[in-house]
Amino acid sequence: MKLSFLPKDMDWTCELCRQKLQPGFVELHYAGNVFKVELPVCPQCSRVLIPEELAVGRILEVEQLLEDK
Amino acid sequence: MTDVLQRIESVCPECLARIPADLVRCGDRVLLEKSCPEHGPFSTTIWKGEPSFESWIRPKVPYYGGERQQTGKKGCPYDCGLCDRHTQRTCTALVEVTSRCNLQCPVCFADSGGAATDPDLDSLSRMFATIVKQTGGCNVQLSGGEPTVRKDLVHIVRLAKEAGIDFVQLNTNGLALATDKNLALQLKEAGLSSVFLQFDGVDDTVCKELRGRALFTSKCQAIDNMCVAGLGIVLVPTLVRGVNLTQLWDIVRFGLDRQPHVRGVHFQPMSYFGRFPEKFTPDHVTLPEIMTGLAEQSGGGVHVDDFQPPGCEHALCSFSAKYLMQDDGRLQRLGGSSCDCGPIPAEKGALTSIGVTARQWGGVDGTGTQSRENEDDLSRFLSRARTHTFSISAMAFQDCWSLNLERLQGCCIHVAQADGRLIPFCSFNLTARNGRSLHRPQPQKNAC
Repeated sequence: MKLSFLPKDMDWTCELCRQKLQPGFVELHYAGNVFKVELPVCPQCSRVLIPEELAVGRILEVEQLLEDK
Repeated sequence: MTDVLQRIESVCPECLARIPADLVRCGDRVLLEKSCPEHGPFSTTIWKGEPSFESWIRPKVPYYGGERQQTGKKGCPYDCGLCDRHTQRTCTALVEVTSRCNLQCPVCFADSGGAATDPDLDSLSRMFATIVKQTGGCNVQLSGGEPTVRKDLVHIVRLAKEAGIDFVQLNTNGLALATDKNLALQLKEAGLSSVFLQFDGVDDTVCKELRGRALFTSKCQAIDNMCVAGLGIVLVPTLVRGVNLTQLWDIVRFGLDRQPHVRGVHFQPMSYFGRFPEKFTPDHVTLPEIMTGLAEQSGGGVHVDDFQPPGCEHALCSFSAKYLMQDDGRLQRLGGSSCDCGPIPAEKGALTSIGVTARQWGGVDGTGTQSRENEDDLSRFLSRARTHTFSISAMAFQDCWSLNLERLQGCCIHVAQADGRLIPFCSFNLTARNGRSLHRPQPQKNAC
């Protein structure tokens, strides 16, 4: 199943490049698992916008899973 | 051929005088050697085999913050509680709710003579509040004696939660949880997160040897009752050479088969607290022997280099690794492939440990563990991870033969006292060979 985290409003601009972000596929690597997700990407510098909901939600949860004592 | 790896400070096992000591390499062993001007030389093995002693480092930037109850004028370990020499904050505060016990184990470091009066609820309430105030928040373990001999244990758990303690763990032999089906449910409802269950092996031979009774059926019943209640369970074997070192993986396997409720195994090599014969020679099971044993007995399921030194307590005190059990039963190690072994702030390590421990050892909702077909890969991974992460860890306590004051000063497990002091665990339980205790208020029976 496709993993897509595109905001409803795709009207985002890369501050560095002044380019409009476009939907693009990004690979997230966690503990040997690779998740292909669709995120807003700058077509020039390839920087990715990770929406807050994802960053403080499932990505935070994964990071905590990987945290050592 | 021997060579000195490190000069440290320790105590004389006879008189507990502070004396210099050497950590000395001798073949594949590291010995702690010391000599008391009055009582002569002493030696004990503190490290044996792989990973190498030299590789097992995780230096900390000392933490001197927080309220200190002692001036440290007498020096370590005589005026613990905490003094301004201490280099770590509290990660886990132990509260001994009773000295009574319903087992009379041949091996036991707690004072289970039952002579002392149980602290009343008001005193415990004040202790919980003091712990929160002094530490700024930490995990709490209710200990003893055997806490479940108290009829008001559920209320005690509630008091701890009301004081603002997020993670409350119960240290128990599980007998009462086996016989009283409602107890686990009541404790869960009161806010208990986790149970540290004494669990020495997967058959009665081990139980009889260490506890003097056949307890295995009772342990299984206690686990069943805790599973129904949704409590997180950590199996805690006391390891003794010649008794249960061959069951390391059997115990882990037993726990893995009872996921999601069994959250990990935490091995504790036996320490020698209490009274011992004059010619007694200690034989500590060392951390690398456990790591190597796990790797060998698992047949490659886990590996020695999976295990990492701690970011909270002193490196020589423990190891841990966290795994995700896949659908096919394989264990996938979570976390970094090697530790960040540069100096880390001790406080940061403690705060991380408080969170990691609470998340890993707490109970999980075991319902709906099957992933749904329409879930995406990340959600499927997380669904599995929420219920099937499993920790394997060990902690080596120190006694009068193995005490290293540098380790003691970095201790993060503190026994809370009614007068507000927080005494490092190994200092609180330290006894001379004749059983004389430094900090426990009453003498102990023969125990270790």
